[in-house]
Amino acid sequence: MSDESRSPREGALGSAESAGAGGSTAERIARRRDSRPLTEEEVLRRNSVERLKLEKHPYDVLNDIPAFIEMAYEAVPEEDILRLQWYGLYHDKPKIGHFMLRVKIPNGILTAAQLRTIGRISQEHGQNSGELTTRQDVQLHWVRLASLPSLFAELEAAGMTTAGGCGDNVRNITGCPVAGIDPDELFDVNPVIQEIAEYFYGNREYGNLPRKHKYTIAACPHHCNGPEIHDIAMIGVTQGGREGFAFQIGGGLSSVPRIGKHLGVFVPKEQVLEVARGLTDIWRKDLRYRLSRAKARFKFMVDDDGAELIRERLEAHLGRKLEELEVIPQPVGRTDHMGIHPQKGEDVDTGRKFIGFPCFPGLMSGEQMVQIADALDQHAPGGQFRITREQNFILTHVPAANVEALVAAVAEIGYSLTVNPIRGTSIGCTGDPHCNFAVGPTKSKLVEIVTNLEHHYGDKVSDLRVYLDGCPHACGQHWVGDLGFQGTTRNSENGKITSYDIIVRGKLGPDAQIGRPLLRRIASNQVNEYVVRLVDAWLSERVEGEGLPEFYRRQPDERVVAIGAGSAA
Amino acid sequence: MNTFNSNLHTQIASGGTRMLDTRPLDARSFDGRALESERVVLDDLEVGELAVQYDGSEPEELLEWAFNRFGEERFALVSSFQAEASVLIDMAYQINPKVRVVTVDTGRMPQEQYEIIDAFRLRYGINVEVLFPDAPGVEGMVRKHGVNLFYDSVPNRLLCCHVRKVLPLNRALKGLDCWGTGLRRDQWATRSNLKKIEMDHDHGGIIKLIPLADWTNEDVWNYIKEYDVPAHPLYGKNFSSISCQPCTRPIKVGEDPRSGRWWWEKNAPKECGMHCSIETGGFEHEVEAILGHQANHGTSGHEQNGHALNGASH
Repeated sequence: MSDESRSPREGALGSAESAGAGGSTAERIARRRDSRPLTEEEVLRRNSVERLKLEKHPYDVLNDIPAFIEMAYEAVPEEDILRLQWYGLYHDKPKIGHFMLRVKIPNGILTAAQLRTIGRISQEHGQNSGELTTRQDVQLHWVRLASLPSLFAELEAAGMTTAGGCGDNVRNITGCPVAGIDPDELFDVNPVIQEIAEYFYGNREYGNLPRKHKYTIAACPHHCNGPEIHDIAMIGVTQGGREGFAFQIGGGLSSVPRIGKHLGVFVPKEQVLEVARGLTDIWRKDLRYRLSRAKARFKFMVDDDGAELIRERLEAHLGRKLEELEVIPQPVGRTDHMGIHPQKGEDVDTGRKFIGFPCFPGLMSGEQMVQIADALDQHAPGGQFRITREQNFILTHVPAANVEALVAAVAEIGYSLTVNPIRGTSIGCTGDPHCNFAVGPTKSKLVEIVTNLEHHYGDKVSDLRVYLDGCPHACGQHWVGDLGFQGTTRNSENGKITSYDIIVRGKLGPDAQIGRPLLRRIASNQVNEYVVRLVDAWLSERVEGEGLPEFYRRQPDERVVAIGAGSAA
Repeated sequence: MNTFNSNLHTQIASGGTRMLDTRPLDARSFDGRALESERVVLDDLEVGELAVQYDGSEPEELLEWAFNRFGEERFALVSSFQAEASVLIDMAYQINPKVRVVTVDTGRMPQEQYEIIDAFRLRYGINVEVLFPDAPGVEGMVRKHGVNLFYDSVPNRLLCCHVRKVLPLNRALKGLDCWGTGLRRDQWATRSNLKKIEMDHDHGGIIKLIPLADWTNEDVWNYIKEYDVPAHPLYGKNFSSISCQPCTRPIKVGEDPRSGRWWWEKNAPKECGMHCSIETGGFEHEVEAILGHQANHGTSGHEQNGHALNGASH
């Protein structure tokens, strides 16, 4: 038979009988599993980012930037774009060559000169954009590769860095923004933060962690920095008259949220770097967390091993026993450090103050940064600009006599103290229009929700925490807001609708808990009706002083759903 | 030899596999079981925990989970018949011969695409559900921009992908609770964080199953060889990328695989070089950012209302 006369289908039919050949599914799986022991080779074979980090250390991408600028943007390898994360760069949306730049600011503390530098960089290279983040960084957008050499030089000259801002690094070390100046703090942790930041920021050895890694360090009695949701939290305590830290480990958010577990050790502050590094070491050397980036975070090791075993492993690693922690530290009340407060060690009436300004919804233009730096120089020479977890800022070292003038000047710049405090306690992630992950508006939706709450309830909601995110990554910490929101979509007769899950019962603090998305896929245009019904029910039925999370913790799931939908009895 | 072996075809179709379901896709997808209240709807917490629990699982175990959790009607493999799809279809067929396989015929596919679709139909007796783009949408687009608009500009190419591929895909997804894709982590630097079970917030919050997430290209081809699974004929002709005929080309040995698709483009979004990001959801974010409302101008018919490009949803 000639080829011409053969059916075009013959090839396909040739082995029809063999469909389903090759042994049972169970046998296939067993054979495959046996052929893949957990080795470094297997890690490199299965995890492309591990390969990418080995082939060229991401910190070395700095040397290639001039070449990238010379070449056409489409020629820049995607792998190197990813390596740029090690310098705090993420692609903005769409991915056609402009980036978000994250400046890493230990404990969120900037001098006026540093703030001015960032503001000018924003004006020159970032279309005047700027955000204060929940991890006390500043983020700019619209930054192009061509700007990087001069921009990095300016940051370095001002004593700042972006090294390790994104990527598999020890990320920015957060803490209580009034460390060192808060009369209520146990002790000043800034020297410890400085020591640890200097050790890790840009450290090549720790620039190849299994994934990102988040430290927080504070001795704030209110635990305002959210130690519950960090990989490694160092909580200031005193024991036997010595200053030191308790450790809470394995917390984190994203789509697999966890409240951290207490390690049960007391570590004198002189040893805290060694112990923190030890914890990070046992994780980064454990191949179980190199195989898959979906299970690479520190919290999964805490899930798998438990705090007790991790303590044993840590002690074995350090070669010594750690001191038992006598009392697990519990936060006292809560604060966001907003408003005017006397500074530590100064006369309550005549001494210098720190002033917390709501920065709702976390946006600050380069121009505003420069203006605030100028206002600081004028009214509070030597004063600092400090970023808080809830995307606000604090100005420090303000002479009592100048408070009024500075508050007026900052109000003129766009940040008034005379707003409903809910603007200080609410958070929205970056989201639209920059972020590649968000599926709905974020900061603009937050403004809409909060404005509506102010309109309906005024002072009654003044300390409500509204935390909103555009995706499950939870940069805006929606799992632990009084009212959390996460953008999603739903299908309807007419197609896809932007919608939000509403999360209740979540909270940080002594009874910290991850919230539940009990009200799911609420169409965007119905969100405010749901919010009003939820707040109405809470305000009218709560026991004296009961918070919204506590109220919804004692309602059955079905009733929460019914309240939201307006069908509750 | 009989040039059309209908006997064998019939034999496969009735011989212990299944009767082919010849109802149109829409009828299957939007019957009574598609009511929102009866669907399997998971929340992010559940999906996040499942992703961790199943992260070390083999692809067959994930497919089995999907069949059990969502049922054979509400779970489908959505495929353009790349090599990964060959593996997944074979695996899924071993578990449940009634596996649904959905693909989009954009109208610009190479002949080899029809050969591979046919090969799977004949070999496994599965009724590949081929979706077509909305006719008025395509007509409106080519009337306005020409039939080869994709060569003109990045926005036009995105528009073409959107009208011919994404909108039909979205139509299929609307009828599903879970879709399986052949994405792999090592296809692209930015895919390294894929989970094997994800909630697809770009498509109504259904589940996206990524059984081969931690497989390498080598694993895929070893499987195809070991179990003699049909593979797309274009791989044998030096294509690195399987997609529409005008937008793909064979590459030379040693050439960057990414030059096999949209090689003429300047300033295209990253990740649109080889493995189209449609399945990652990234495509739709890019389209929204680059085209904005323009996408609607090239389309007509009902489908445009269903997409995030619709101004009313923003």
